[in-house]
Amino acid sequence: MLALLVIVSLAWLAFVKPEHDRSLSPADSKTEVIVATPQYQPGDSGEPGFMDGLKRFWDFTGFRNATPGHLIMIIIGLVFIFLAIRYEYEPLLLVPIGTGILIGNIPMFTDGGMNLQVGIYQQGSVLNYLYFGVLKGVYPPLIFLGIGAMTDFSSLISNPRLLLLGAAAQVGIFITFIGALLLGFNMPEAGAIGIIGGADGPTAIFISSRLANGVNMLADGTTVKNLIGPIAIAAYSYMALVPVIQPPIMRLMTSKKERLIRMKPPRAVTKTEKILFPIFGLLLTCFISPGALPLLGMLFFGNILKESGVTKRLAETARTSLIDIVTIMIGLTVGASTQADVFLTRESILIFGLGAGAFAIATTMGILFAKSMNLFLPEGSKINPLIGNSGVSAVPDSARVSEAEGLKADKTNHLLMHAMGPNVAGVIGSAIAAGILLSYLG
Amino acid sequence: MMNQQLLTALASVQLDPMSWTIVAVGIGIVFMSLLLVYFFFRYILTFILNFKLRSFARRKGIDPSEADTARTMMSGEVNAAIAMAIYSYFNELHDVESGVITIKRVSKNYSPWSSKLYNMKNL
Repeated sequence: MLALLVIVSLAWLAFVKPEHDRSLSPADSKTEVIVATPQYQPGDSGEPGFMDGLKRFWDFTGFRNATPGHLIMIIIGLVFIFLAIRYEYEPLLLVPIGTGILIGNIPMFTDGGMNLQVGIYQQGSVLNYLYFGVLKGVYPPLIFLGIGAMTDFSSLISNPRLLLLGAAAQVGIFITFIGALLLGFNMPEAGAIGIIGGADGPTAIFISSRLANGVNMLADGTTVKNLIGPIAIAAYSYMALVPVIQPPIMRLMTSKKERLIRMKPPRAVTKTEKILFPIFGLLLTCFISPGALPLLGMLFFGNILKESGVTKRLAETARTSLIDIVTIMIGLTVGASTQADVFLTRESILIFGLGAGAFAIATTMGILFAKSMNLFLPEGSKINPLIGNSGVSAVPDSARVSEAEGLKADKTNHLLMHAMGPNVAGVIGSAIAAGILLSYLG
Repeated sequence: MMNQQLLTALASVQLDPMSWTIVAVGIGIVFMSLLLVYFFFRYILTFILNFKLRSFARRKGIDPSEADTARTMMSGEVNAAIAMAIYSYFNELHDVESGVITIKRVSKNYSPWSSKLYNMKNL
């Protein structure tokens, strides 16, 4: 009898008591309990049976939970994959992003706060852990490390005045910032949207993860919107469409005579100069704009690895395996973050509109600045304004556009090497602009 | 009508003065940072490298002004042409052949294993 009493007491302590306590004070729990098993069973009729099981299965399928929004996003994902494969528009980015959009928009049963630990926004899921790198801005600096390890700054060192074209194109960021404020976005959101004008995917993700992450609180107590997905998708979409967006603007802004300008071939750059560029570039830019340190620090670190000549293995890893792994992670998770309920909003449409404007303004400003520089430069040292568009980062697509447009005007005038100067200057310029926005709005 | 409404709405928006500060400071700092890098690499680094080159030329007994001109004026294309010429000189010396053909006799030891005589049926 006593033994029976002891067993019943132990069973009560072991199984019933914890459940009883949990139901009494769920809010008091200090640690968040992630429920792996369903808390709510859809279609639960109380009588388990074959048909009930089938109905339960049906309730959990994507077919049952699909909404028009999901279907629209899946079509967008398929278009991304199609553009990447058929037209080779930034395939290394659009294939992971497009596939990510498909993954992120598989409809799931989420009624009653159900957490299947599958979706990217469901705490505890694998995708959620991978998304951490986007949310906390881990991936963009790693991408910059790889970019630094594969970038040759020779054209910029041989003709440093091209740096100014990279600065001029960043005006697009700040004009878009004002445009976003006029359309009713708050300051941090507008800052994150403005950075699309920098035409730099990792920078756009880095800034939006800091400023428009759906977590930060404003002074009036409201929370900023989560705009990481729309901003990243807009930035990468327009980067992929650089060969479509920029040429008409370039032709419109330049005369036939200007397009024929031949630039002096860049001089040979010594190894010492190549080593000193990232070191002094890092010190000079980051002392002025410390907010850009995560991006510029990694960019110049990667370049030091490349140019030092004694860390070939590290440079090789940074520009191949590491950047490939991070590109897969960032592309997939950014794509998956575009769930229909988060992405298909009025804000996304406005962001896409502002992004197109930002690209056009940045391209125009780069070309106009090249033209204005020519007013002061002596004959023989003039700049072909067709390289002005390369001031937007989008490495190396915008430089390729300069080359293609230059060849259209004169089949023997190659502008690629010259255009790479403002192109890499644009990367530095957009990172500095990002640092300034962070220091004011972060 | 729709555009007018949008324009009216835009005109009614009062921007925070801070936003103009961000724009002015932002554009200014981006230009200033890149101008600083430009001045450093255009003037200071060039001065340091020229100084180094002149001292090297002085040690070797070369006129420093000539050495300086050679360094700054030489383009990558000239370097590529010189490199190509040197490569061609050292690697394509076999263009002129002697024209003498020699026949080398190869002696082979006899082996019954490969003998035609032993491998054919004598009908």
